[in-house]
Amino acid sequence: MGLSDWINDPFIPYLVLIIFGFLPTEIWRLAGLFFARRLSIDSEVFIWVRCVATVLLAAVVTKLVLSPVGALATVSLIGRIAGIISGVLAYLIFRRSIALGVIVAETVLMTSMIL
Amino acid sequence: MTQVKSGKKRPSKNDFNAAFLTGTKEALQFPAWVVAFALIGIGSIARETGAPAGVAALSTLLIWAGPAQIIFFGTVASGMALPSVALAVTLSSFRFLPMTIAIMPLLRTPRRSLLVEVLSAHLVAVTVWTECLRRLPKFPENERLPYFLGFGSACIILSTASTLLGYFVIDHMNVFIAAGMLFLTPAFFILSVSAGAKSLSDWCAIAIGLGFQPLSEKLLGPEIDLLAIGLLGGSCAYVIHRMYLRGLS
Repeated sequence: MGLSDWINDPFIPYLVLIIFGFLPTEIWRLAGLFFARRLSIDSEVFIWVRCVATVLLAAVVTKLVLSPVGALATVSLIGRIAGIISGVLAYLIFRRSIALGVIVAETVLMTSMIL
Repeated sequence: MTQVKSGKKRPSKNDFNAAFLTGTKEALQFPAWVVAFALIGIGSIARETGAPAGVAALSTLLIWAGPAQIIFFGTVASGMALPSVALAVTLSSFRFLPMTIAIMPLLRTPRRSLLVEVLSAHLVAVTVWTECLRRLPKFPENERLPYFLGFGSACIILSTASTLLGYFVIDHMNVFIAAGMLFLTPAFFILSVSAGAKSLSDWCAIAIGLGFQPLSEKLLGPEIDLLAIGLLGGSCAYVIHRMYLRGLS
């Protein structure tokens, strides 16, 4: 079944979203809940699990910066990397403010688009 | 002393509402806007695939994971077979398993309701997770769950609205602003996760994830690279943490 056959149907796009988008994501959250209910609160497993989650998160950042989608792909690689690095530096140097870090990162990215 | 008092007190409806509102308020002070702005881009991507506006908005409310939504709309639009779409989405969403396990101990209450726990788990997404993991320990135990629910609801509702906004206004948005919005996700993720890092293992995990993702993608391809680097790199960070603790004792 091609995309054009069902995308204009009033109900099928919603079914597709629920079965092939929502459930494949939600299953991990529910599995997490299932395991968390069975672990003692001070279990060592939580430290390992937190490590895994943090690595995954940082890896997503690299992936989004190195393999961008949409309009972000029009920005040079140097501009994207410089944006992230300057944002983190600004955060570390100036009062540890996330908002400031985000603003600096965005400013550097946009400046690189003009240059 | 106050900690002990509030722990003994029976949590009342008013305490619950107050903590819920604090969560909502603090989310609206900044983090919720970042996610919402970042998800404007998802609305535009959804529209390009020809999906109806309701599907775009519901994708935020139900999937509640920017990268998974991009993969969902991208693969559907490319004509990929639907089971393969589901596989691509599920591989990209694996992070919610460790993330949900890690935050649940903070949300435990004496009266545990499965419905509330399922709802809490659903609100787990990167912004809500990193921000609440960092903020919740500062609150007394009985205020953590309502704070989390308030914080998460503010983020998801504002973002659902912004996805819809992106769906309708994207034609009028220039590439300059669109790129800036898409850049919000990685910029905020890295800052938020760094702000929450409190131990050597956290910093090792951040460095490993940032540095080794390209190698993992090169070796294993763009589908299972995250899963592999997460499990392998996370275990490495954990071992370094253990070795460090052993060195101290």
